[in-house]
Amino acid sequence: MKVARLSPSEFFHHLSWQGNSAMPLAPLDLLANHPQAVQFARRFRMDQQHIRNFCIVAHIDHGKSTLADRILEHCGAVRGTAQEQMLDTMDLERERGITIKMTAVRLSYTAKDGQVYEFNLIDTPGHVDFTYEVSRALFACEGALLLVDATQGVEAQTVANASMAMNQDLEIIPCINKIDLPHSDIDMAKDEIESALMIEADHALPCSGKTGEGIDAILESIVENVPSPEGDPDKPLRALIFDSHFDSYQGAVAYVRVVDGSVRPGDKIQMMSTGKTFDVDEVGVFRPKLERGQALEAGEVGFITAAIKSIGDAAVGDTITQAEGPANDALPGYRQAQPVVYCGLYPTDQDDYDELREAIEKLQLNDASLAFEPETSAALGFGFRCGFLGLLHMEIARERLEREFNLELILTAPSVDYIVHQTDGEVNHISNPSEMPQPNHIAKIEEPMVDATIMVPNEYVGTVMTLCQERRGVYKKTEYPSPNRAMITYTLPLAEIILDFFDKLKSSTKGYASFDYEPTSYEDSDLVKVDIMLNGDPVDALSFIVNRKFAYVRGKAIVEQLRKVVPRQQYEVKIQAGIGSKVIAADTIKPFRKNVIAKCYGGDVSRKRKLLEKQKKGKKRMKNIGSIEVPQEAFMSVLKVAD
Amino acid sequence: MASGMSPTAVYIHTPFCPSKCGYCDFNSFAMTGEIIERTVAATVREIETSPFKGSPAKTIFFGGGTPTFLSADQLDRILTAVRETHPPAGDIEVSSEANPGTVDSAKFSAMKQMGFNRVSIGAQSFQAGDLIQLGRVHQASDIAVAVRAARQAGFESVSLDLMFALSGQSMTGWKSNISTALGLNPDHLSMYCLTIEPNTRFYRLHTRGMLDLPDDDRQAEMYDIAVQLSEEAGLKQYEISNFAKPGHECQHNLCYWRSEDYLAYGPGAVGCMPIEGQSTRFTCLKHPERYCTAVEEGKSTWFDVEPLDDQALRFERVMMGIRLNEGMPLEGLDLNQSALEELMTLGWAELSEDRITLTSLGRRFCSSAVLKLV
Repeated sequence: MKVARLSPSEFFHHLSWQGNSAMPLAPLDLLANHPQAVQFARRFRMDQQHIRNFCIVAHIDHGKSTLADRILEHCGAVRGTAQEQMLDTMDLERERGITIKMTAVRLSYTAKDGQVYEFNLIDTPGHVDFTYEVSRALFACEGALLLVDATQGVEAQTVANASMAMNQDLEIIPCINKIDLPHSDIDMAKDEIESALMIEADHALPCSGKTGEGIDAILESIVENVPSPEGDPDKPLRALIFDSHFDSYQGAVAYVRVVDGSVRPGDKIQMMSTGKTFDVDEVGVFRPKLERGQALEAGEVGFITAAIKSIGDAAVGDTITQAEGPANDALPGYRQAQPVVYCGLYPTDQDDYDELREAIEKLQLNDASLAFEPETSAALGFGFRCGFLGLLHMEIARERLEREFNLELILTAPSVDYIVHQTDGEVNHISNPSEMPQPNHIAKIEEPMVDATIMVPNEYVGTVMTLCQERRGVYKKTEYPSPNRAMITYTLPLAEIILDFFDKLKSSTKGYASFDYEPTSYEDSDLVKVDIMLNGDPVDALSFIVNRKFAYVRGKAIVEQLRKVVPRQQYEVKIQAGIGSKVIAADTIKPFRKNVIAKCYGGDVSRKRKLLEKQKKGKKRMKNIGSIEVPQEAFMSVLKVAD
Repeated sequence: MASGMSPTAVYIHTPFCPSKCGYCDFNSFAMTGEIIERTVAATVREIETSPFKGSPAKTIFFGGGTPTFLSADQLDRILTAVRETHPPAGDIEVSSEANPGTVDSAKFSAMKQMGFNRVSIGAQSFQAGDLIQLGRVHQASDIAVAVRAARQAGFESVSLDLMFALSGQSMTGWKSNISTALGLNPDHLSMYCLTIEPNTRFYRLHTRGMLDLPDDDRQAEMYDIAVQLSEEAGLKQYEISNFAKPGHECQHNLCYWRSEDYLAYGPGAVGCMPIEGQSTRFTCLKHPERYCTAVEEGKSTWFDVEPLDDQALRFERVMMGIRLNEGMPLEGLDLNQSALEELMTLGWAELSEDRITLTSLGRRFCSSAVLKLV
């Protein structure tokens, strides 16, 4: 795998994405035992008073990558361009190295007081699907730069990320970015920070990642305001895994914040959630070039490799301790990655089933939050039920499977995890509509809810409320961080969010709305399973679960959508939607009456051949259900109809 | 390059038109002035310096564009060059497309004189509204005049082109077009369902929903009536869109459908010849300016050269051959046996001992049949 040539800011952007365990980017392979890879520990062993661990939290596009880029430059971590440095190292990858994710960078900063500080800049994923990972990265820090775009003000993800940082008791340094732009409004940004986030913004630091203005003040502020770590170097080792990824040579690479004690190559370590033990091969840091070291001490941030064969054994949030004389208590906050969105993944060609299994297994090596189990569909054959952290995560997994493993897949419509109470007292989690018991066996169903925060200019408040109402939202509150903008909170069923909620929100607010959500609880709901039948036969992969009130509208809409996407066939196709045996919507696809090229002479042959070859390929991508050819997009129809 | 000594079809492309029609995606240009003469001279030179010089002509076909937009003298110079480079293998078909409005008795006489023996007249429709919509330069009455002029000039093989499934076209309108055409007693009739091709004015109109095109069902009805009326008038269907009195089938086009080699000259012309033993399709530079410059500088005019592997050749043999009412020989095609059976069950195809032939029902699903077979 190759990384394309990138500009410095693109480069860091790339690094930022790398910080996200599920992002589909090429890992950067670095050779660790390169002669220039110095032993850092002797040179840079720091007392904790001179360590500053921090991150940057921001809404997307508020300039996080560019600011990080400038900070790297100011600390001399990047000479020339970051790109040159990185590619330099990549040339060495081929012999043997470890694949790294630039998830934390160590920098040396000489402050105005003349002392040298060790900065660890920790990257955080930028999407709501990865909230838990963000929270663990924040836990590894003592401070956060809260970056707000001076032309945009506070947005939904600013609120979400800042709240998380505050919950972790991080010292927040508000920074107002893009002050070089003509429309920048520093006072507006300050007001919004104060009213929406309740953060004192008097001393917010104006800056421009683009021009470098204000960067020095930020660096000084980090020294002055971000507390130094306060771990006990003499206690047993406790290190928090805040990110991890899988390297084919080294096994799982754990990115850790050492809280107490220290860790060295050769140490026997233990994962506190599972009790499994490993022998440490290497420890090190990125500056941004990889440097192997002799130890990671209390307060420090770096990576550990220990021939960990499964990424699941280096789970984000877990605590590493020493195997002999381990710590009594793990660091707080560990939980297992919990999928929230599920879908069926099937090979278009059943012969590819084994390949798909291998591909998913390989993908899971690198993505512990991906859950899967075999599943069978009468319509689609053998496949897998897969669980994801969110829709983005699902899309990424699909793309990687199709692109990296050259598979052609059919995804069934995403579903959430329902808790189904049967009349006989049995309680099951069900995410696959086809596993739903008969209606007369169901006592009640609970569905997952989220709290959604939407920030929007005042004139769109009505639009947003209408949309939320249509999606079964329960209004909670509206706040006004500034006179012109509202922050609306709704409780919504997760199932409604995973439809096209965000697209609809964006389009109905001309792109102004920003949105974030967090899962809250399960609530009772009047849900029914709607079956879709083609020529009278139910197609399990098309059935869906919906609130009874919406069953008719959705059923009708999906039938209509199917009529549009299923091509005319040789025979008539009847499409029906039904609840149990009751048909609630129906339509017919008339058979095609002709399919012929009118004109085909010497100059047309190549073009017409290619046209037909393309059609043939398209046919191959379709799924034959009975004698009906159903295109892949049909299985996602339910996503398109939630109006 | 070895010139095959077996007779080969020769196609000449003349890219000029009085104006560009809304449905046309052929290589045609509404240009006037010096470029036309320059292109004629370049075409003559391209023919004379052909790497296939000496290969005898099986048929000669002038298409366009509008060949009759050229003067009689210009047509003559090109035809003479073809005959000198590719000596006709006996009494061969020499055909030209002609548009009503660009021909008169004098030009037809001259063409007959210089050796053309078949003309194909682009009538398209006899309804003024259709002709305006299509962007044709002629009027309905010009068609009959052109046919008469061709007959007077001595052409014994006259063909007409019609189009159906036009925007807003009624069944009555279409039937009346067929009857009017048949009333002119052509020897050959081509009837094409309008196809909306990308990069045409119609395509842009269609994507904006501004065309009122008949649906699938109506198109199928229009096609069926075309076949029926034509056959009743003694013009037998011999290809999906082509009908002829016995002996008047277009010999040149049959070469395409039978997947024989063909030579081609002129801007945008497409040929298919064996080069070093491999079937190769080549396309000449499309823009007249660039084509002329290449010829004048002694460079190859071929800008696209596509070697055809066995798989492509097989696909094309089926795609082209199955269009013919005579069907195609099964030998060497290795067709999917279960597909053959399916086609027969559907009533789309019939097998004789060594050929497969589509039924009249199957002809409507020609593309589907190809997809099943290969």
